[in-house]
Amino acid sequence: MYRRLIHIYQVRNGLIHIQNRRLPSTKCKERESFVPVIWATGRASQRPLGTSSISFSENKESSTSLSEDNKKRPEENEASAEVNSDRQENTKINEGNEISNAMLTSQLETEPVVKPEDSKKFDKTKTGKESLLELLGAMKVEVTTIRKIRPPKIPRINERPDPQPMESAHSMFQHATAEGSQQRETLNPTLVAAASAAASTLPNSRQAESELLQQLRKHEAIPETQRRADGQNIGDIIADMKVGKRQNGRSNARPSSQIRFDDDGQGYTQDRGITGELDAVRTRKSPFTSKRLNIFTAGAEQDSLSDLGPTLWDINLAKQIVQTTNQMPRNGFEEMIQWTKEGKLWQYPINNEAGLEEEANVPFHEHVFLEKHLDESFPRQGPVRHFMELVITGLAKNHHLTVQQKQEHIAWFRDYFQQKDNVLKEAEV
Amino acid sequence: MASSCSQALRHHACKSSRILRIHLQKSWPNRGFALNSAADNQPAVSSLEEIVIPKKKTWSKEAVLQALVSTVNRDPTASDYRFQDDPYLTPKTSLDFKLFSLSQESGRNTAKYFINKYPNYFQKDYAQPHIPCLMPETLEARIEDLSEAALTERIELRKVRAAVDLYDQLLQAGTSVSLDVTNDLLDLICFYGDRDPAQENVPEQRSEETEDVQEEPQPRKGRAPKASDLLKATWKENNNAERIFALLSEPNTRSYSALIRGMVKYGAYSRAFSTYTDLLNNRLTADVNIFNALITAAPEVQEKYNEKWELIVDLLKQMAEQKVKPNLLTFNAVLKALRRCGALGKSQAFPVISEMKALSIEPSLASYNHVLSIFYKTGAPIQGQKDILQEVMYEVSGKSFTPQDPDDAQFFITAMRICLDTKDIEQAYRVHELLRVGENWRLMGNDLKQNIYYTRFFSLLCLMENVDVVLKWYRDLIPSVYYPTSNIMTDLLRALDTDSRLDLIPQIWKDIKLLGHANRQKLVEELLALMAREKHSQEVQESFADCALDIKRMYNTGDRGKVMMSWTAGSLSDVISVLLAAQRRQDAWDTLKLFKTHNRVPSAELLNQFLTCVKESGDVDQAVELVQISAGFCLPETPELIQRIQQEFELSEQHKSILSDLEIRTFNSE
Repeated sequence: MYRRLIHIYQVRNGLIHIQNRRLPSTKCKERESFVPVIWATGRASQRPLGTSSISFSENKESSTSLSEDNKKRPEENEASAEVNSDRQENTKINEGNEISNAMLTSQLETEPVVKPEDSKKFDKTKTGKESLLELLGAMKVEVTTIRKIRPPKIPRINERPDPQPMESAHSMFQHATAEGSQQRETLNPTLVAAASAAASTLPNSRQAESELLQQLRKHEAIPETQRRADGQNIGDIIADMKVGKRQNGRSNARPSSQIRFDDDGQGYTQDRGITGELDAVRTRKSPFTSKRLNIFTAGAEQDSLSDLGPTLWDINLAKQIVQTTNQMPRNGFEEMIQWTKEGKLWQYPINNEAGLEEEANVPFHEHVFLEKHLDESFPRQGPVRHFMELVITGLAKNHHLTVQQKQEHIAWFRDYFQQKDNVLKEAEV
Repeated sequence: MASSCSQALRHHACKSSRILRIHLQKSWPNRGFALNSAADNQPAVSSLEEIVIPKKKTWSKEAVLQALVSTVNRDPTASDYRFQDDPYLTPKTSLDFKLFSLSQESGRNTAKYFINKYPNYFQKDYAQPHIPCLMPETLEARIEDLSEAALTERIELRKVRAAVDLYDQLLQAGTSVSLDVTNDLLDLICFYGDRDPAQENVPEQRSEETEDVQEEPQPRKGRAPKASDLLKATWKENNNAERIFALLSEPNTRSYSALIRGMVKYGAYSRAFSTYTDLLNNRLTADVNIFNALITAAPEVQEKYNEKWELIVDLLKQMAEQKVKPNLLTFNAVLKALRRCGALGKSQAFPVISEMKALSIEPSLASYNHVLSIFYKTGAPIQGQKDILQEVMYEVSGKSFTPQDPDDAQFFITAMRICLDTKDIEQAYRVHELLRVGENWRLMGNDLKQNIYYTRFFSLLCLMENVDVVLKWYRDLIPSVYYPTSNIMTDLLRALDTDSRLDLIPQIWKDIKLLGHANRQKLVEELLALMAREKHSQEVQESFADCALDIKRMYNTGDRGKVMMSWTAGSLSDVISVLLAAQRRQDAWDTLKLFKTHNRVPSAELLNQFLTCVKESGDVDQAVELVQISAGFCLPETPELIQRIQQEFELSEQHKSILSDLEIRTFNSE
């Protein structure tokens, strides 16, 4: 991944270089073996490259922005450090960058433009010297070998707006006098002061300073929107980090290692600081988050053997558990709960029809209109009929009996009158 | 009527507002727009709002009561709810508590026994709706013929012998019994170890538990009767279970499960393992219960720690191979076995817990209890393992646990024991806090365990906390939930001593009397010694003197066959010096006479003290009498006393002669 990023960056540089090809370049020979290849790939896949680079930039932001405020600092730092660094030690990639970044600009920038500014700045430098020292002190001295990998990283931050700074750099040479001061204003004065102060310590101070400032300007040219986006992403990443283990543990694991490679100074210790704290939290409860036995796999399904209902063993286990625990009620309400569970107490919320669930299914007319039961076997008129009508009226009003019981009641009279049939007949006749 | 009235009112209000609006519109045509729109929109908005009719909510039958329960807190001044029916029977001592709760329980059991014994007298069902639990249970088999149904009935009634006999008869008659019923029968036989179960109506508290709690019984004590049952009942070879099992043509996993569990329960561990091998040979897979039983048995069949552990791991691996999902009891069995694996337990306990969590089995309190027991062996020195308890408390605090394992109830007393051993009051508070979460109080177990728990908690408090905090807890716990033993009261007295709040002693003495420890000689003597040791302010001394007299009375009355305390020289002199300090010379004088009646010898120090007190009042007669007493005991210091009296008192002739007489006598005796 990282390598690919570098590669893309090289490609991009190559393209830039191609743009500026007509410009005289002393170092071009060194890169000749390198450029044509990029030329080809750059041509063939210019568009995909653009998109991929954007997606990368997002990816990479998540990876690099671990050290949020580091980002800005190394830039300055690099600017000053580059002056100090011995170029011979740099790798080819590095050289490639510097060619595009530093050499071109240094050659093309018009000395007169820079000069007056420099002289102006020098006054400020006197006061800004301390700030520079502070900055430098804060940054620590970086080992040159680390630089090897560093440079590719910085441009990656402004990958998206890359064309623009290039454009501006390009046009700047043409309208150097016109725009120089404007450009200058975009730079943070303290930065400029620091750069010039750093440059003053070198023998070839002017050139060094111009290089430095150029470098700084390039980074300043990053649009604010991009920055803000970065900031948001950084927030996301920090949030991610706090979450700790997430599904994409890979992307989380990488930034730390990357930073570790980048420099073993600031970034490393910072990374250490945050995760170290988290680690401390984790180790605090480590006994319960220790490694597992790894015998079972989660989610393994049991063959459904024991769905026969509770066996004697299950019942007795439950009983044993109940016996070992305290089941005594602590107050009247708890006792009532216990009684409710045992079915001894009328259930809350109070329902007058509790326990009459079967009866609730019987419609009321079954209870009230009982004439239909009289039709078949009772005489249509006469005293028996009259008597039975009184009976069913009484039954209709009786709420203590079920429909079944009412029917039985009527049936009893039916039998009775059938038995007494002859008596009735005698009396009636 | 009222509603129609209000409707009319509303209507009127609407009308008037409309009129008002019209007026406004007329008067301010420009502003009318805003007003109008706002006013006109209102009904439109309300019509847009969909009226959501809430769904009918069905409450569980306990919901109302549960809501009410949540409003009730424990009343530290009231006794246990069980005893609130009759204030006369409010227990004041732990003995009372045991007696009353046991008699209550046994009354219930007796009633139940009679209802079940004579069901024909209890057939009238008054309740409507019918309450099944109030009706007599059928305990006798009603199906008499030879059938599978009869066998099922006997199995349900847990009549082991009858069921086995019937099964044999069925087989002899040539009737085949289905595999399920046979398995039920096997379950029954194996569970009861091929013997009829004992009387089911065991009281809730067993007689063994009435022993003094002071001996700090082992955590297992609560189940001691069961353990002893196990020892008596061992698995016999070729018992009915094995015989019936052998008769099965195709035993399935459940049959094996019953057999293996029975073997493990009744101590036939190696047979259980061979049965398991048998099962594997029959190409069957075991179920989780078999594995649980085997894991429980694993520490029994191996000697060395690592062999035990290897066997357990092997069993777990076989579980995974056979795709048997472990449950909570599996891991609790593993942890319990780890308790017997020495140092291996310490290294393997946490991986086991992690495995549980990985399988999303939430550890129960029993799991934590086992972890604690692994790391803190009883009696073993504590080597800086304080943090394990801390970790465990970190895990469990704030969680509400439901009972899932019979060992769950051990957690609180184990945790409190460790707190006491490590003198970690902070964790003790956390343990106690956990008790208040949700239904966790149920997991504290029965009364015996509660007593152990509170004993440990309170003695830790007495050790570590200042006396104000101790007394706060004292008022809170005693005697509503906890009846302290005399040793705990001694601890409390020591706590009072260290914070020099001895003025509270008379209060504590009242409680001691109430708690029935007033006849504990050791405690009473300690109390007296504390009162006599230092000088206090006058009113404190007064209350001490009252207290001392009260104690004196305790010595005299040995009512209802209680143990009589016997006076010692120390306790007598303590009482006297307390009384003297409060200027109760007469009481002290009476007490002094007890030396003689109880054949004790007072110290010269005491007599000197007494003499000083007598001198303050200037009672010469008493002073002389004191010397006579001293001479009566043949104390070597008598001459010094005589000398003192001669110097400090204005003596009459009679006194002088008595003294000189005494002087000569003591001189002669020497």
